[in-house]
Amino acid sequence: MSFFRIHAQPGRATAWTLSWLLFAAGLVAYFYSAQKRHRENPDDRVMPTVTQMVQAFEDAALKPSDEEEAQANGSQGIFERFRRSMLWKDTQATGRRFLISVILLFPAVVLGLHMAMFPYIGAFFLRFFQFFDKIVALSLLPILFIAFGIDELAKIMLIVIGVTPTIILDTFNLSKSVPHEQIVKGFTLGAGDFGIAYRIVLKQIWPRVLNSIRLNLKAVMLFLFAGEMIASTDGLAYRIALLRRHMGMDTILPYVLWVAALLFLVDLGMNALNRKLHPWFREA
Amino acid sequence: MGNATIRVENVHVDYPIDGHSVRKVLNGIDLEIGSGEFVSIVGQTGCGKSTLLRLILAEEPPTRGQVLVAGRARSQPDRFCGYVPQRYSLFPDKTVLQNVTFGLEVTELRPFSRLRPDGRRHLREFQVEALRYLRHTGLAEADARKYPYQLSGGMQQRVAIAQALILKPPILLMDEAFSALDPATRSGMQRLIKELWRESGTTIVFVTHNTREAVCLGSRVIALAKGHSAEQGSSVALDLSIPNIEFDSDEEEIRALIRRVETATLPPICTSQPVSKPVAVHAVS
Repeated sequence: MSFFRIHAQPGRATAWTLSWLLFAAGLVAYFYSAQKRHRENPDDRVMPTVTQMVQAFEDAALKPSDEEEAQANGSQGIFERFRRSMLWKDTQATGRRFLISVILLFPAVVLGLHMAMFPYIGAFFLRFFQFFDKIVALSLLPILFIAFGIDELAKIMLIVIGVTPTIILDTFNLSKSVPHEQIVKGFTLGAGDFGIAYRIVLKQIWPRVLNSIRLNLKAVMLFLFAGEMIASTDGLAYRIALLRRHMGMDTILPYVLWVAALLFLVDLGMNALNRKLHPWFREA
Repeated sequence: MGNATIRVENVHVDYPIDGHSVRKVLNGIDLEIGSGEFVSIVGQTGCGKSTLLRLILAEEPPTRGQVLVAGRARSQPDRFCGYVPQRYSLFPDKTVLQNVTFGLEVTELRPFSRLRPDGRRHLREFQVEALRYLRHTGLAEADARKYPYQLSGGMQQRVAIAQALILKPPILLMDEAFSALDPATRSGMQRLIKELWRESGTTIVFVTHNTREAVCLGSRVIALAKGHSAEQGSSVALDLSIPNIEFDSDEEEIRALIRRVETATLPPICTSQPVSKPVAVHAVS
């Protein structure tokens, strides 16, 4: 059997079919169980049917949110209706926090680079961040809410504390992995310390740093969701937490898939951008 | 080329092992390399050839003694000494042209000056100059837009040489620069570097473990050899002037010189002579 042969070469069609098989199996298993539960109890709320989920998602994506209801009129186009919907408002709120958090990761990259390039800065920060990285960020949540209140700042600080040390240490390691010959070469070509740090080392590690940020987006989202679920009045995670109280699985499941689809698109976009901006970059 | 002399005065290099003992690498090296010389440093693996080069480059300080380049002890590498290592000689994120113009850009242009018209004009001048150097080292104009990973090993080293020479450094240090190349490419590169040396008059220090390469390239060969015991470190075993050897010189003459260098660099167990005192020899051409 060639399934467990290292040199096996699955055909294009076979590989494509195999890659979708688990999705299909998951969907079949879910809808079979949902149908079974609904036959036994037509009011079941734990496993909504396709119709229920489509209806709930349509309500979330195309019906005006509570604040917009008064201004809404029936003759709006689909984009206008989406723009006034609960789903869009929640996506906007979460997206804003997500974007601020991702932007705040860039100073971490600069710090990691400086720690690797300048031994005194490395000696000053490294041990601290190695320890800091081991602190479970969620355990700091109560402290953050006490220190920064339950506003946006606490949620963003949670993300910064949760992900920043990883990015700092990752950038540090990536910078250290640049061959020493390149640094010596830079000096012999007349570059100064900062020229070497920014024009040689940072430019070389940049695609890998972007990859590292891309792979940490899920962690960013995880901390953001934790903050939103506990203390927020809008956002995708807030909505999921709110609907949990009403057993609104018909909306929760499409929301979960919506978040996954958004993250998947961001990941895809960053990967494509990285390849476009750095044609020389070939991950070993 | 002005004063491009190198003086290595009673240099010792020890590396700590496990925090309590030391490994002696170089033991009392004394050398004087004059302006415009092409010096090959040869010796067996681990005898401290590259360490000696790093000292001249000011990449690391000696444990004892001093290294003076143009009469001055340096604290870190600078553009006075060009450098071509065996590997990682090019910046992978830059095209061939950007690699060669990099030195001119960082030394002649201010950051972000390429956004201004005069900065862009200077950059175009640098590119014209870089293309001239690339052609001189045997590369085609079409290669200028390629990235290093798209070039063969030999082409990469040609670019590295152009990159170093465009700044006209008084001294060029080459650390096993051709070791990773196939014999045919290597032979072409050897002829190229000798030709460039004759034209530019740059002082070249060329580290190699290949005795034939050392003899055919250098106007002088310095052989390092390890001492009798591991604690002794390496010292200069032979300092040989080679005035007129070419790649197509008499094969017997080349072989005789190779034998002489190899005898000096043999491990202590194979020789009965101590290697602590350098022997200055002048070959008769």
